This record gives sequence, C-alpha cells and structure tokens, in this order.
Amino acid sequence: MERTFTNFLSALRGAEIRVSVAETLDAMETARLMGWSDRQGLHDALSMALAKTPEEKTGFTRIFDEFFAFESFHDRRDGEETEENGQADGGDLLAMLEAGDRAALALAMQEAAVEVGVENIRFFTQRGLYTQRVLQQMGVEGVDAQIQAMGGQGGGGSAGQALQESRAWLFEQVRNYVEQQLSLQGAATSQELREDRLRRSRLGNLDRRDREQMRRIVEKICRRLVALHSRRRKMKNRGQLDIRRTMRRNYGNDGVLFELEWKKRKLDRPRVMAICDVSGSVASVARFLLQFLYELHELLHDIRSFAFSSYLIEVSEHFKDNIADEAADKVMQKVGYMPTDYGESLTNFRESFLADVDRNTTVIILGDARSNNTDPKAEYLKEMHERCKRLIWLNPEPPPLWGTGDSEMRRYRPYCDLLRECNTLNHLERVVNDLLETAQRAA
Amino acid sequence: MTPEQLEKLESIERVREGYAELGYICSRQIATAIYVAGHLGKPVLVEGPAGVGKTELANTTAAYLDLPLIRLQCYEGLDEAKALYEWRYAKQLLYTQILRDKLGEVLGEAQGLKESMDRLHAHADVFFSERFLAPRPLLKALREPGGAVLLIDEVDKSDHEFEAFLLEILSEFQVSIPELGTIKAGRRPVVFLTSNNTREMSDALKRRCLHLYVPFPDAPLEREIIQARIPEIPRNLKYQLVSFVQQVRELDLKKQPSVSESIDWARVLLLLHADELEADMVRETLNVFLKFEEDIQSVDGELYGFTRQAKKADGARA
Repeated sequence: MERTFTNFLSALRGAEIRVSVAETLDAMETARLMGWSDRQGLHDALSMALAKTPEEKTGFTRIFDEFFAFESFHDRRDGEETEENGQADGGDLLAMLEAGDRAALALAMQEAAVEVGVENIRFFTQRGLYTQRVLQQMGVEGVDAQIQAMGGQGGGGSAGQALQESRAWLFEQVRNYVEQQLSLQGAATSQELREDRLRRSRLGNLDRRDREQMRRIVEKICRRLVALHSRRRKMKNRGQLDIRRTMRRNYGNDGVLFELEWKKRKLDRPRVMAICDVSGSVASVARFLLQFLYELHELLHDIRSFAFSSYLIEVSEHFKDNIADEAADKVMQKVGYMPTDYGESLTNFRESFLADVDRNTTVIILGDARSNNTDPKAEYLKEMHERCKRLIWLNPEPPPLWGTGDSEMRRYRPYCDLLRECNTLNHLERVVNDLLETAQRAA
Repeated sequence: MTPEQLEKLESIERVREGYAELGYICSRQIATAIYVAGHLGKPVLVEGPAGVGKTELANTTAAYLDLPLIRLQCYEGLDEAKALYEWRYAKQLLYTQILRDKLGEVLGEAQGLKESMDRLHAHADVFFSERFLAPRPLLKALREPGGAVLLIDEVDKSDHEFEAFLLEILSEFQVSIPELGTIKAGRRPVVFLTSNNTREMSDALKRRCLHLYVPFPDAPLEREIIQARIPEIPRNLKYQLVSFVQQVRELDLKKQPSVSESIDWARVLLLLHADELEADMVRETLNVFLKFEEDIQSVDGELYGFTRQAKKADGARA
C-alpha cells in the first residue's frame, strides 16, 4: 500500500502539485482514517491534505482518477483471483490466453509490471523496452513458441488464429498500461528537461510550437518573482527612535518609557517605464519581450510600457485589457516590423512622456540599438538618464556586436546605469531579480 | 476532544445530519473536512468566494460541539499585542506603587542588601504573574480548559509577519511569552482560518493546514440551504429563485451574488408575498443581491430570458 501511495505522490508532483514531506505524513494519516473503501470520501479528504489551491485541486482530481482507475478494476475482480504467484510461466499464460480469462491476465500483468519496475519509466523512448520486459516476465516466449509450433504444423487453423489474436490483444493491453505509467511518472522528468532547454536557448531560435510552453515558463518565473518580491517589508525595531510616538504610547504608564517606538520605513515597489523595440531586426525576440512585459504588469503595480520601431506609442492599455497573446499581436500590428528609428522614437518619448519620468522611475529599454544610420539623438537619452533613478538597457545581441554596423550602442552606452546582454529567459529573470532587489535596497 | 465530542464526529453522515439540524447544510466535502480535522486535530484553511458560509461554518461547529467560539478578525496592522496577549505595565506599576508599604513589612527586619534581596526574591512571582497578562483571542483559545473553536477570520487581510507568527500556534498549539515562558494548550482548539483569496497565503501556512475550498453551491444544495433557513418559503418560488440566481452567477459580474444574498432575496420576496418570480418584481428587488450598478444593468438586460428559464426549470421538475 505504501508503495502505491508513494507512486501516487510522485505522480502528483509530476502534475506540478507541490507535496511536502509533512503533507505526505498528513495524507497517510488521512488515508488511514478514511479507509480505502469509500472512493469519493478518500478523494475529498486527500485533496484537502495535498492540494492547496483551486488549480491544484483540479490537477489532483485528474491524477486521482487516472491513478486509481486501474486499482479499482483490480479490486472488483478480487473474488475471481485464480492465480497468486507473480512468476507466471509460459504454460499458465497460455492457459489464460486460451481461456480468455481477462481478469487473471490483468492481474498477472500488474504483478509482472511491479516485478520489472515499470514505475521507473521516464521517457517515451523507453516504452518498447518496458513493454517487452513486462511481456517476458509474463512468459510470452512460451506462447510464441506454441504459436510457431501450431503455424509450423500447417494445420494450426482456427486455434492458432485465436491464440495469435489473443497475443495481439495482450500486447495492446501491456502497451497501454506502460503508456499510462509513462504519462503518470514520466511527465515530471521530461517536463523539467524541456523547461531547462527552453530557458537556456535563444529567444530568437525558438519554434512556434514551443511558444505555449514558453508562455507557461514566463508565467512561472514571474509568479516566483512575485512571491519573492511582493512583500512590502517594514523596517522595524531599528534605526531612529520615534520620540513622539513613544511618548504617546506610554501615557498610560505614567510617562515611564516602557515601550519604544521606532521610525518605520515602508519599502515600495519600483515605478517602471519599459520601452520595447519591436522593429524587424528584433522581431523574433520582440514577442517574448512583450510577453515578459505583460507578465511584469502583473508583478509591478506601477508600470507603463511603450513600443516603438519608426515611432513610439504607449501600450500599457493593451496589456491591461487583453490576454498575453492578443496584447502582443495588437502591439505588433500597430508598430511592429517597421524599420527602426531610435532618434525619432526618443524624440516622441521626450515630447510626450519625459515629464512623467521622475527620481523614482526606473527606465528599461529593450532593443538592439540598430538605428538604420539615422541620427541616434543620444542627447535625449542623456536627458532621460539625468531625470530617472536608473536606466537599464537590455540588448538581445551579444556584446562583441555592439557598435558594429549601424548599431549605436556605443553612443548610448554612457547613459545606461546598467547594460546587459539579454537573449534567453534566464537572462531576463536575472535582470528582473536585480531590478527588484536593488529597488528594495535603495528605497 | 471529549468522548462525547468524538462521538458526534463518529462518521461523515453523522456530521452532516448534526449540522443540518443546526440549520447548516454542508456538502460532502465540508463534512469530510470537519470529520478529518476533528480526528487529526489539524487546522482547516477555508477558502472560497465571499458569502458562501465560511464564517458560519465555524459558528456552527462551535454550536455542534458545544464549545465556546473565539474569534479573531484579521486586518492590516494586526500584531501580537492585539492577537495574543498584552502585558499590563500600567497595572503592574500601579500595584507596585500601592503595595510599597507592604513591601516595607515584608522587608521589615531584613538586615543588609543581600538579605532584603533574598526575601524579595521569594515574592518575585507576584510581580510577574498572569494577573498582569491581558489575554487576547489566541491566548484565550489556548487556555480554554474544555477546548474551544478558534476562528481566525480573513487571514488574507493580515500582514506577512502575522502569518509567520501564526505558524507556531498552528503546528504546536503553544505560544512563547517572554515574561512567563511557554504556554501550551490544555486541549487542542478546533481551528478555522478563512480567506477570501485577496492574496496567496504562504506555503508554510498551507502546509500546516487542511485546505478546504468552498465554491458556490450547486442548485440542489442551494435549495436545501434556503429550505433550512426559510422553512416557510413556497416550493415553486424556491426552485425558481435558485435557478435564477444560478443563471446570474454564469454572467461576468463585478460581484457574484452569494448564498447569504440569495437567502436575503428569498426573505424579501416572501415579505412581498410573491409565490412566483415575476420579471417586474425581480427588477425591483435586484439591488438586494447585486451591489454594483453595472451588475444590475447587465442582469437587467437578461431579465426576461432568465425569468422564463427559471420558470421552465420549475416546470421540468413538475
């Protein structure tokens, strides 16, 4: 029973339901209390002990149904169990196949599966291997020999035919079972592998089919960042004594200062203005940058975003009203794919929005600084730099390419407080983390 | 838990029936939660939209188990002085002042500083006793000799610091008070935490609790609830009203009508002597269960369709 239970828990973890050790113990106790006979009751109780958000509850129900489907099938046939020993030899299997005793076959299959350790399956490439192993454990060679023998005689006729069909049926069953195990147990590992790859590969090189996956990772990263940084810590019990409040608090004690009050400082989250290049040269990366901006909107309460190529517009509204993909589409439609003109865009920004940049603002610019040989108007960037708290430039190109060709990075460089290469999700994550941390420290 | 209380929690069915007698109709999940929590002695974190009876659940549990209910309403800035205990310095000071003469008597014949100190030391406990401790809800719940139902309401409104502070109480059922030492619960209280999900609770807190999600009830359950709360409601009206409310919940509204609001609405309709839902009457009473002008307008557009559908639902049953 415990083995089944641990398998169940690892399947849950595969479905991204976090289960701690303490919760495992709770769940065991709960299961013991509820007993195994009342399926719905067990489901309700375990779901309370293990799944702790509405999303996790949905996932839990799915896994529970999938996982215990086979178990219940097994239980129903309890009375008809004919065979006890796990190591069925060819003869028994033959007899079972001929008799068409499916319940006994299912039981034998499960036992064989435990014997060869199917729960260790991780990758879909292992399907064939495990199917074969289970079949061998059940003693399929004997059956094959029998089929061969019958075929050899030439007059196998209908009996041989029937046996062959039964064997094919058995093969189907075993493969299904192995696949079910794979979907339960393997999901976790392959998921991790894929995520790791996506996080490290260049944003521009990603396939269209990875997009959905990517979106989920971006969401995950952002959620983690929210969890890390959404706390507004109060600096308490340190720093300066707040005389006024200390006096007031201690009126009741006859003016004897028993309780001290300290000056408190509340730390606020940073104000951010993000400016994103969506021109043709960075189009492949732009989508993901926009995606990230979108998620950032959830993370930071005070953020405004702008997009530009030949000219610059504010896009905060799009992010507020639409879901991620639509928002990115709309922005791309409006200003995307045009030739870049940094000078013009900076001029636009200066005219319409520079007034809103103040000492608490962090400006983030996402772009490759390739301005098609137009006037880069670096002096406007200088102006921004002087007004804002920090100016961060994230460039999707690797540093050796900065300043080559029509790249104006070198002219912009002096005015950036922080200049980073940024073309994978890992880079993005690091930058945002930096941004939030320093913002907290500096506030 | 006394044997008596354990007997009341002997099976899930029993819990359901007992609660129903007290006018609280619980779904199977809720009954299971009470059953498991009662037997394992774990706190229950109840989440769900506003007005589905999360607080009422704790009230009913207290009544069912015959325990006092101790309630702690959370809000931003709630700290341990208000939640756990406060040391009454002023009282302590005052007592010391008044008892100064008596101190003279105690120390009367003592010779020298050391002897006086020793004598005083024998009475030290007088100055640091529970007399000067003003217990707040959490401490009260721990010290209740027969156990208690502790309701920590809207825990999502409290600060992160307070959430962390709750951890010791929730897992060990004890608190540390610097002046007195550790106070342990004589009998474990039954703890409910409610949350409206205005922010995500920390993993550490969730790990220590059973998690119960209470959604809006489905139609049959809601009918039962209304029947239990307003027994005199006509059968027709009950069916139609529930069907109407369920349809309204399908819309995208700023605030969905809760169970308590549909009960209020039923009361209002009863007061107006309605036997059936009529579109006009519904329009006039929409503000009973919809609290935003935009919501009222969007429901108003669907009014006739909904009323017809509600009557049909009733017809299909008959």
